[in-house]
Amino acid sequence: MSNKQNLESKKQHSLQSSKNIALLLIAATLVLISFSLFSTVLTWILLLVTCGTVIRGAIYFKYYKHLPSIRTLNLLALLSILGLIYSALNAGLLFGMVNLLVLACALKLMQMRSQKDVYQLIISLFFLIGCGFIFNQSIGFSLFYGLMSLVILFSLACYHAPSIAVQKHIKTISVLSLQAFPIGLLMFLVLPQLSPLWHTPKANGASTGLSEQITPGDIAALSQSSELAFRATFENIPPIAQQRYWRAIVMEDFDGKTWKVHQYRQKMRELQLKTKQQFKPKLTGPYFDYTVIAEPTFQSWLFALDLAQPTGPRGSRNILQSSDFQLFSQQPLANKFQYEVRSYPNALSSQTLTLADKRVNLQVPEQGNKKTRDWVSHLRSQFPDNPSFIQAILRHFVDNPFVYTLRPEVMLVDPIDRFLFDNQAGFCSHYASALAYALRLGGIPSRIVTGYQGGELITNPGDSAYLSVYQYDAHAWVESWSDTTGWQRIDPTALVSPDRIEYGLRQAMLEEGSFLADSPFALARLTNIAWLNNIRLFLADLDYNWSRWVLGFNSQTQRDLFKSILGKLTPERLSMLGLGIVLIIALLLSLFFVPHWLQNRGSTTQRLYLKALNAIEKTGTQRATWQGPNAFNQQINEHYPTIVSEPFTHITQLYLRLSYQNIQDTSTSVLNVKQCHRMMRRYLTQLKTGLLKADTNRIKRT
Amino acid sequence: MTVINNYWNKWLNKRIPAAAQHQLNHHSIFILPSKFGVLFLSLCVLLFLLGTNYQNNLMLLLCYFLLAIFLVNLLASYINFARINLKIGKCPEVFVDDNLHIPLWLNTNNSDNTAHGLLHFTFQKTKQKSKQSIKIHVLPATTVVDADLFSNPISLSQKCQQRGKLTLSRVTVESFYPLGLYRCWTHLAFTHQITVFPKPIPCEIQLHLSEHNRTNDNATSANSLSGHDDFSHLKTYQLGEPLNHVAWKQLAKGRGMVSKQFDSAGHQLGWLKLSSDYAKRPLLNSNNAPVVALEKELSKLCYQVIELSRLQQTFGLDLGDHCIAPNNGNDHRLACLQALANFPNGNVTNV
Repeated sequence: MSNKQNLESKKQHSLQSSKNIALLLIAATLVLISFSLFSTVLTWILLLVTCGTVIRGAIYFKYYKHLPSIRTLNLLALLSILGLIYSALNAGLLFGMVNLLVLACALKLMQMRSQKDVYQLIISLFFLIGCGFIFNQSIGFSLFYGLMSLVILFSLACYHAPSIAVQKHIKTISVLSLQAFPIGLLMFLVLPQLSPLWHTPKANGASTGLSEQITPGDIAALSQSSELAFRATFENIPPIAQQRYWRAIVMEDFDGKTWKVHQYRQKMRELQLKTKQQFKPKLTGPYFDYTVIAEPTFQSWLFALDLAQPTGPRGSRNILQSSDFQLFSQQPLANKFQYEVRSYPNALSSQTLTLADKRVNLQVPEQGNKKTRDWVSHLRSQFPDNPSFIQAILRHFVDNPFVYTLRPEVMLVDPIDRFLFDNQAGFCSHYASALAYALRLGGIPSRIVTGYQGGELITNPGDSAYLSVYQYDAHAWVESWSDTTGWQRIDPTALVSPDRIEYGLRQAMLEEGSFLADSPFALARLTNIAWLNNIRLFLADLDYNWSRWVLGFNSQTQRDLFKSILGKLTPERLSMLGLGIVLIIALLLSLFFVPHWLQNRGSTTQRLYLKALNAIEKTGTQRATWQGPNAFNQQINEHYPTIVSEPFTHITQLYLRLSYQNIQDTSTSVLNVKQCHRMMRRYLTQLKTGLLKADTNRIKRT
Repeated sequence: MTVINNYWNKWLNKRIPAAAQHQLNHHSIFILPSKFGVLFLSLCVLLFLLGTNYQNNLMLLLCYFLLAIFLVNLLASYINFARINLKIGKCPEVFVDDNLHIPLWLNTNNSDNTAHGLLHFTFQKTKQKSKQSIKIHVLPATTVVDADLFSNPISLSQKCQQRGKLTLSRVTVESFYPLGLYRCWTHLAFTHQITVFPKPIPCEIQLHLSEHNRTNDNATSANSLSGHDDFSHLKTYQLGEPLNHVAWKQLAKGRGMVSKQFDSAGHQLGWLKLSSDYAKRPLLNSNNAPVVALEKELSKLCYQVIELSRLQQTFGLDLGDHCIAPNNGNDHRLACLQALANFPNGNVTNV
């Protein structure tokens, strides 16, 4: 029978729980979180999530009464798994896992009946939020996920106390979170930041930013994006605008139209990745240090000023340098990536040219661009000396009415011929491509380097300056080799449009009006409206600090923090710090406990009286619940000697007086409350000694 | 197992002695992570591994935040649970095989600082040492009370299987508030004066005549009930008189509440007697059949006591060793029932 009762109560409980707002909240959270991952989660899975939520909503609002049966759900689960296997088979492990997690949550949401289901779903939701941080790390998303975590906690609270008002729950949760946050933050700052324990599948997405090949005209499309590419923080004074050439990709393979990364270099790079071998260029001359926070590109190229060497533990572990002085990370950048670099601006000239380098950098297609060939051979016969030959070619750009434009015409056949002699209007890649081709024809090893040029310098008083480099700062230039001066950077764009190099693209495109023409509402376009620009800069600053201090917090920063606290990192001091932190956490916890303790203590008057009662209770006389203080006092008077009963009478009187007398009377009377308490304490000690004496007397008598 | 159990019970008795009222505090509260709490911790570990492997600070922050929530919850659960104040109320009469509804008063004194959330009340499973109940293994029924929406007193039902002084097992009170991460619980023992009376079995009422004329014992063991119903006169109704004595016809005629007075054969002093075979053999241990028979006999006596008291008849109870002088009224009835319940240790009764 009790079994039956149990069942009934369970049934009732589940009935009650289906009405609980907690489940609706959980459903809503699931929808929001999975939609925040819409770039990763498959559309049909999102649809399933929505379905589950609609079912929950319908049940909550009593449009519908029945959950889908287990059989239906099992069938649905089977089909979904098959569908997932089909669509995620070649999309990577992480993609599959996240989709599986969302799918499982959706099915659980439809099936959720017992308490166990609710708990499982909540744990999965927290885990999903954790996964969300793999894909989205911006401030906005972090706040969103933080809010979602609070909502989940809130729904948990609702689930465990279904009949408390919502406001009270909100209060409870906010108090709990406010108490927990400092402790969590402390743990985050102090617990050791470990290096990855094992290799994990990385998120892969559409790669953004520079591509590994350019057909002149490509970068123009890139220039229409105002997205951030990376930020660089300089310890000291940042280099001037004309020297901010951020090297990313070197292209040495030219087929007449398109420049590509040479296969030889690609193979070298693969080999390096396997053996983890660094290429070590000769580093000479002055240098400067800076930190780069690269935005996720899903490519492995990194950005640095010539000629760079990764520093810091993280940099030297994850970053490799290739023989064409490119930096690349071992894994594609799925998240923001922070690394420290040291650049030697004069070192480029002191490198060597291997035979293979020379062969690669002289390669030209046999056919095509006939006009250019003829022109170059003509010039070469005129200027056999290399420097003057280069000057002659560059003079061609200056003497002719070349135009720097973001809207070049499409040049399909013999593009270099048409650019150099017909159109004479183009973008940086046109200029770089034409110059490098011409130099190669003239027997001078040369190549194209793409990357970024310039950047927006932001100096905050008291803080180190940083540069924000946006996608529209993308640039291409030429590097040529001379036996006397080594590798040299030549930027033909600087000759045609000096503004582009000195002031950036916005200034250079002022007349044409094509800067970010496709996105009229981009904040970067509206710099001339002061307050809008201020907002833009503020947001950029916020994002920078977020990336630098929150996302970029690592073992290095942690050590610096410890150093600034402790002065020196000795084991004793570190252990003291650990102890201190544990103490602080304990202190915080006990601090949260104090209000409760004070509440429980009751008023001093009551406490003192209860102490007196306790003392008497130890001798065997307990006050019955129906006995008032006076009646009990009488009983004590009858049964105990005067040494006990007298102080007790005083205590009782004081107690009665303090607790039942008019407040005004007590405040105007001779004794104030404090004095009364003092007297009560005195009588209490008298009572205790009296009891002790009475006890010994009794023992003696027996 | 039993050794551990015994030790555990002894320890519990020392730690949380029985009382009529319990204000929960650090002496009486046990607190450990619940299953969900353990799951939650493993989530934190997983998040830590994931965050470390992906070098993802936000994931680590989330992990530490949840861990801190877990820590803070320890206090929150405790504080909430420590607000519980339970007091046992007055129990109704109960007979063997009945469900005893034990009233518990929750937080009657302070209204502002009460506990929240669902409270689970369960009777601790105790293996009673009596031979009868060992086979009957009853699943302890859980009573769920919403501490924010309930009416005092909370009634916990327990099935009574043995007559005599009730061995009330400890009440386990559980709470998972606020987030279900911790299970706060306590095992409370309540002092009480509950005696389980034998189950009344309807039978014929057999009043033996007074002890003094025992000689014609057998002859006069008459069915004295017949004369009892003789109507004597009407009297104005007084509060407390049985309703079936009210002369409803008179009431209908508008003459007010009048109760019929019967010529209750008060002079017919009768004794309810336990058969001497049982009465003389106070300790029954060896075989089962007499025990069952005795129980049945006691049950019948119980029925008769109730029935006679209902009829306001004066009677005495003779259980061999223990006699209760003829009397009537509620106190007498209770005394008789107690004596029956505690048979053969009749002297134990202390009302």
